Amino acid sequence: MSEPLSLLLSVVIFPSGLFVLALGLALKGVDRRVAARLQRRVGPPLLQPAIDLVKLAQKRTFVPDVACRPVFLAAPLVGVVAMLLAAALVPIPGVYEPDPVLGDLLVLFYLLAVPGVVLMIAGSASGSPFGAVGFSREMMLMLGYEIPIVLVIVAVALRTGQGQGAVITFSLGEIVQYQRTHGAFLFDPIMWPTLLAFSAFLPANLGIIPFDMPEAETEVLEGPLLEYSGPTLGLFRMMSAVRTVVVLALGICLFFPNAPAGIAGLAVWAVKLLVLATAGVTVLRVSVGRKRIDRAFIYFFRWPLAFAVVGLATVVIV
Amino acid sequence: MGLLSRISSRSPWLYRINAGSCNGCDVELATTALIPRFDVERLGCQYCGSPRHADIVLITGPLTVRVKDKVLRLFEEIPDPKVTVAVGICPISGGVFRGSYSICGPVSKYIPIDVDVPGCPPRPQAIIEGIAKAIEVWKERL
Amino acid sequence: MGYLKVLLQNLLAGPATEPFPFGEALTPKGLRGRVQYDPHTCVGCRTCELSCAGGAIRIEMKPEALEFTLWHDTCAFCGLCAFYCPTDAIRLSDDWHLSHTDDRKFEMIEKGRIPAIHCAACGEECYATQPAADLFDHPPSREELERLRGYCPRCRRKLAAEGAQP
Repeated sequence: MSEPLSLLLSVVIFPSGLFVLALGLALKGVDRRVAARLQRRVGPPLLQPAIDLVKLAQKRTFVPDVACRPVFLAAPLVGVVAMLLAAALVPIPGVYEPDPVLGDLLVLFYLLAVPGVVLMIAGSASGSPFGAVGFSREMMLMLGYEIPIVLVIVAVALRTGQGQGAVITFSLGEIVQYQRTHGAFLFDPIMWPTLLAFSAFLPANLGIIPFDMPEAETEVLEGPLLEYSGPTLGLFRMMSAVRTVVVLALGICLFFPNAPAGIAGLAVWAVKLLVLATAGVTVLRVSVGRKRIDRAFIYFFRWPLAFAVVGLATVVIV
Repeated sequence: MGLLSRISSRSPWLYRINAGSCNGCDVELATTALIPRFDVERLGCQYCGSPRHADIVLITGPLTVRVKDKVLRLFEEIPDPKVTVAVGICPISGGVFRGSYSICGPVSKYIPIDVDVPGCPPRPQAIIEGIAKAIEVWKERL
Repeated sequence: MGYLKVLLQNLLAGPATEPFPFGEALTPKGLRGRVQYDPHTCVGCRTCELSCAGGAIRIEMKPEALEFTLWHDTCAFCGLCAFYCPTDAIRLSDDWHLSHTDDRKFEMIEKGRIPAIHCAACGEECYATQPAADLFDHPPSREELERLRGYCPRCRRKLAAEGAQP
């Protein structure tokens, strides 16, 4: 198959595009159902997020008079496209290795920052004061969690590079390959501080409790999403679903990608996603309360930053 | 009413408007969603924070003079198709405040109401029954 | 970490959700629901109208009958009418399935009617209400009360005082 066509298919159908969208919606459905069972409720059917999207597609999009119309309508589109591209960049160990021409870990890091920026821009473009509050909260949150994730990425890249003789390598394929031969970073004590820092970054980037204050329903009336309705809101939900899969898959790729090849590898990857989603997202979401934005900001400059710095220092020294 | 309408009717989003209520009915509305005993998420509903996301509007409270303009303006922001449910006796007729100087009369004088749920406050099960009726009405309008 | 134990217990215990609306809902015995009015037992004192919190009860004393109307969409289901009614003519059942579409708003009505009669003794116009139990100096039997139904209030007092012998 010619290269541009295979690239296009990898973005549109598998592993990005339809596949990651279906997977993301399924994960969200499982998340809502499990959260309900953890609270002794019955919960919605598993297909509920997909049904929500179908319903949203049928409603109208309102654009407020004070909004900046092109930015208001383009923001969710930019977010979804960025996330679909990011999903094509994350390797599925044993099944799919991304074409190096698409990008590497650094490109993925930039793409992961796009949903946050899109939320911010959507909030300010909508012209509502609640959107402005959501904008400022998302900005503070990003300032908090971007530094630890940079240090985590550098630490993992350094470890992989050192183990292979080069100084540093940002290629996700090489990171997966290194862990196959030398054992996963999950079981490597030197990488445990880095792992802890990543686990602090995970809920903040995904925008779940305790770090969902930019989109808080009860406090800022859903912040940046307040003025969105209909298909544009559906695009935001799609972006959130794909983002969940991308960040969880990145976590698997950075710390525990060992898997057999072929269909078994795909099944193992799906099981890992499910376990990580249930433990890291759902259980966390129903157990704790929402942090206040200033407390969250201070929190990121304490333990997550400490763990990230210690992790990087350990990798450099050892 | 095609396949798309039938699918979409299983995801009605609820939005509460307090038009000067004493909060009794609002507390009952909170319980139908949040506590495990009366879980309203089974029907696919969820409470949304923004009027723009709403499908079923739940109005409580007699329309007091002070809040009337704001409620009418808020009601216009909610996109069609929508279904309005009057929860409690206050929005239906003024309730125990009927005839008072500070209320503008039944809400149906200003806003078209589709389903009424009498009670002061109505039982959570009665509210769920009203929401189920509202979903039926909404299905016709999709 | 205690909440993790709670979550595990919740998972094992299963949902605590009532099956309504896909099944029956629990209705406690004393639930205050739809109002029921029995004109046969009503004495026409209008205490229910006086004590109604929502102003839902309207009693009209028309020439042909005493008409009782209660509108459920203003009834607060407080139960004061049933509490103060001396003969339990007005009761609150436990039927809470009252939600309706708005076009049926004015059908949620409980009506009752006590016909007007002419007193069997003096011919005065009065209503055929249940006679009050305190007309007698002893707890009256059903038959003693029913015997006085066709009379006006003044004649009822006279007949009760005279012993109401057949």
